[in-house]
Amino acid sequence: MSGNSSWMNSLVNRMATSKFFNYLAGHVLVPYWAWRTPVYAQHGGPRATIPPGDNMQRMMNLILPLKDKTAVGRAKAALAIASNLDEIYAGLDNVGTVHFARFVIIENNMCMISSYDGDFSNYIRDFVAQLGTVFDSVVALIEGGDDMIPTKENIDAFINWVHDRDVYQIPDTATDLLRYGTIGHSAAKADGPDDLRLMPRALILQLHKNPNSLLGSGYRGYPGLSVAQIRHKMGLGW
Amino acid sequence: MSTFASRNAFDPADVQGNILRGYHYGRVRHLILEVHHAAAARRWLGQCVSGHPDAPQITTEEHWTTRPASCFNIGLTYFGLKGLGASKASLASFPTEFKAGMAGRSVKLGDIGESAPNYWAEPFDDPSKVQLIASIHADDLVELDRVEQQVVNAGSGAAFILHTARDGWNFDTDHVHFGYKDSISQPRFIGVHDPDNHADGQPQAPIGSMLIGYPTEYQGIRYNIPQPDVLGRNGAFNAFRILAQDVAAFEAYLDTAADELLDHPLSEELLALGAEASFGPDVSRREAMREIVAAKMCGRWRNGVPLALSPTTPNPEHEVSLTNFNYEDNDATGCPYGAHLRRANPREAAIVQRAARHTRRLVRRGVPYGKAFDPAKPDNEERGLLGNFICASLGGQFEALMCDWINLGLEDPQITGSNDPILGANFRETSWFHIPLKSGKNINLQGFPRFISTRGGAYTFLPGIPAIRYLASL
Repeated sequence: MSGNSSWMNSLVNRMATSKFFNYLAGHVLVPYWAWRTPVYAQHGGPRATIPPGDNMQRMMNLILPLKDKTAVGRAKAALAIASNLDEIYAGLDNVGTVHFARFVIIENNMCMISSYDGDFSNYIRDFVAQLGTVFDSVVALIEGGDDMIPTKENIDAFINWVHDRDVYQIPDTATDLLRYGTIGHSAAKADGPDDLRLMPRALILQLHKNPNSLLGSGYRGYPGLSVAQIRHKMGLGW
Repeated sequence: MSTFASRNAFDPADVQGNILRGYHYGRVRHLILEVHHAAAARRWLGQCVSGHPDAPQITTEEHWTTRPASCFNIGLTYFGLKGLGASKASLASFPTEFKAGMAGRSVKLGDIGESAPNYWAEPFDDPSKVQLIASIHADDLVELDRVEQQVVNAGSGAAFILHTARDGWNFDTDHVHFGYKDSISQPRFIGVHDPDNHADGQPQAPIGSMLIGYPTEYQGIRYNIPQPDVLGRNGAFNAFRILAQDVAAFEAYLDTAADELLDHPLSEELLALGAEASFGPDVSRREAMREIVAAKMCGRWRNGVPLALSPTTPNPEHEVSLTNFNYEDNDATGCPYGAHLRRANPREAAIVQRAARHTRRLVRRGVPYGKAFDPAKPDNEERGLLGNFICASLGGQFEALMCDWINLGLEDPQITGSNDPILGANFRETSWFHIPLKSGKNINLQGFPRFISTRGGAYTFLPGIPAIRYLASL
């Protein structure tokens, strides 16, 4: 946002925060960009990375739209989890790399939210090896799930399917850009609102393609430790 | 179908011969080819499986009575299948990691920094040019040249562009650069190997861990078969890697570590006073300590004797098996948890990812390249290993091993956060390696560099013989 006080700059600066501009940007400008420079929706979840600390406690936020979007559909989903809960927990225990996992129904989506160590594909593959037969009854309730069953015999396709339904994770570097790159650049309003115009266009287009997103890699109470290291240190057996 | 085929569900005549067994020739040459004229290349493929006198014949898994002068096998990359004219639907049915190619999975494999694909040797720095890898195994250069010429002549010289040829040769003693005896242990397959003759303390692997289209040991998981079925079935995947070994740095680190350990207050726990005598005549305490460091990092003494069976000396009083051993849970006073061998294959030891037990085994066919390092005349010539890491699923086996176990060390909490001391993507600033001692204490080695870097590579599909016929017919 320019600090020059000419009437033109003043007009442009006002436009940026106006309701009209916001409407124009959200409904016309960004869809136009997306049409001119189409981007692929990136897979969900964290990117491959080398530093060990970045490979621990990685986040999965799986959003699986239920086929039946009524209370009956939600009840069936709840029952599919509840009736297999002991097996699911035992299976997750045997996967060995899962810090926590929970199932949440949000607006006709079955959401599986978990934190795991290591590689995403390995996590899902081990999960299916342990739980595929049980989990198939959950997958059967999800849009597009029928093509994946039995998951044990469609393992490569299932890993991709899950990857596509894991929430897009805005990389930490991009989150830093948002945090440091868009604040305080206005000489006129140093403490004012963040300047959306400074956000990278590629990121806006990705958000256009991926309506759900995880902002950065998230907070960790005990950074850099695997679940097995915690269990080992606590004498819980791993 | 032969008796063997009916017992094993696959016919050896349908499978390329370099998957389930090693040939043990003295030399190998890998020709890195790009399809230039697709129709000519397809015709040539057909000739390679139909006894054509001018084309090298693909060696199959069939038993031979007379050892041939050479063996010949091929692998195709995603670009190779595309170049030969495989349909879009067929290409799409291959696994994601194969389609991305080795360069596309570089971070997962630890191919970063100077090992990153943009630093790879030509033509590997442009994966689209690496389409077909033809491997010739023979004992002499004349035979290698003869078969190479047959390949170059394919389609009157128009079928392929030969970008480079990579030669490897076995040292006389099965040793490789860094001085370790290699080619000792490989997975043994149900129905293929006699369990009584190949005892190695591990369950035999089902054929589906190597060949596509069969059950695996992975609790009911079956890897997808690329389509059409005739193309995918009886094939396997291969990670071909050119791995440069920095022998000078490795030997220099053994010096550094030995000096450090000899001054360490716990040094006698590693090498009791006078124990150096068991290492050989006139072996100094420092030389013995160098060998201890080399053995702890690998899991075997450099003569191949496993630490699990001979923890204190490379020359045990009674001969020990080189393959039939296991690791004790919660005991690494022999073989450290982080040793290369134990990381790559924890055998029966406890691992964090219990569901993955025995599922990440690979067939490894490696041959050294470059002159043997002479410590008296150190040089900077490139030398290393031409490695083939074969499996039914690159994602489920090769990559799973590389990204969670070789690097990161996720299989045991005591090594998590560290990389393989020999093969890992290490940096001097952050590398560490624990040597557990009988007293319960650890000696921690630090500051070692990356000893093995990647100079090139490709993910290839090793099609079965009916698949080669299918490709020829496109």
